[in-house]
Amino acid sequence: MVVTVLGISGSPHRHGNTETLLDSFLDGTRSAGASVEKVVLKDLTYTPCRGCNACHKTGECVVKDDAIALFEKILAVDCIAVASPIYTMGITAELKGLIDRGQYLWARKFILKTLYFSDDHIRRHKGLFISTAGQNWDHVFDGAFPAITAIFNGTGFEYYDNIIANSMDEFKGIKNHPTALKAAYAKGIEVVGVIEKLKAR
Amino acid sequence: MTIKVLAFAGSPRRNGNSETLLDWVLASMAEDPDVSVQKVPLTEANINICRGCNACEKLNMCIQRDGMDIWHDKIIEADCILLSSPIYCMGIAALPKALIDRAQVFRSRKYVLKLPVVPPERKGKRLGVFLASAGQDWSNVFDAAIPSVKCFYHVIDIRDGDISYLMINHVDEKGAIERHPTAKADATRLGKTVIAELKRRLAA
Repeated sequence: MVVTVLGISGSPHRHGNTETLLDSFLDGTRSAGASVEKVVLKDLTYTPCRGCNACHKTGECVVKDDAIALFEKILAVDCIAVASPIYTMGITAELKGLIDRGQYLWARKFILKTLYFSDDHIRRHKGLFISTAGQNWDHVFDGAFPAITAIFNGTGFEYYDNIIANSMDEFKGIKNHPTALKAAYAKGIEVVGVIEKLKAR
Repeated sequence: MTIKVLAFAGSPRRNGNSETLLDWVLASMAEDPDVSVQKVPLTEANINICRGCNACEKLNMCIQRDGMDIWHDKIIEADCILLSSPIYCMGIAALPKALIDRAQVFRSRKYVLKLPVVPPERKGKRLGVFLASAGQDWSNVFDAAIPSVKCFYHVIDIRDGDISYLMINHVDEKGAIERHPTAKADATRLGKTVIAELKRRLAA
């Protein structure tokens, strides 16, 4: 069975460092035989979570827009790569806006108990976080990880790995980074291989 | 002496727990006749997200024309800037993150163009307050929000040491904070303390 991969680009800046890194990862998965789709959040129309908590009762979001269709897509694939640059020590407002909209899945899991991912399901579904930052600080990604963990948990994906590169300001862009693009490509091949093995069992 | 207080209410849910916390602090501050308070709910602030175009590094202004045209100037004028947000998915909500990211224009001014954000004589005379509420009872639930908040205040010339925090976890449903044993008293005390400190610094 073909491994399905969904890349989600959370940068408002098209074809910048983060999206280029995501593209390299997706190229790797494609070369390993995966069926790949990329969604650019900038092209979708969705509003931030309203915090109305209506989903706590119904398990459905009262706002019907592109965010819901995207979550349905996420739930249907084997691997997701969620990409965002670091803006002011966190993920972009665009990606945070999407992640917060997953509250209805959280409600289904923990309040209504109508959604359950088995350990085996989680093991077979791999999530990766792809990011770049201008800053050279090692801790520049720390503020992003908890929200990424939240979307992977909410949608039944194991947090497989990070593909991250800082110091973009010094390198003057991802294309000048000595290893990042190649490492992302290799990671794409690797994760498809891992998922294929798990699916064959 | 008028002390200008500017407060951004960051929750998409009006009059929920984080905004109630903010209202308590603002009410306490407003008891002082020298204080003028402006509260801005971000649901009505018309702030688009940062496009990451980096044009502000050259133009010293944002290319987007929206509510930030007003808030940009208000941020510079204010003596005290408060921001409140609920914690969603272990971070600040998307609305306040959009405000924080749009502060990129101040970062460009400060670090790329090497221009002042506030006049030198006002440095060290501005205070920040971050208020948050979270449904989770985990003690680490606010950790990922703080670096972004520090960045925001840093680029608008409010030092790390001049930011006060009041963050209340384990309050989820609307009104839950009203039943919290200490939140209201802490918020009231915080409002008084911040205004007293501002008066001391502005008089110095």
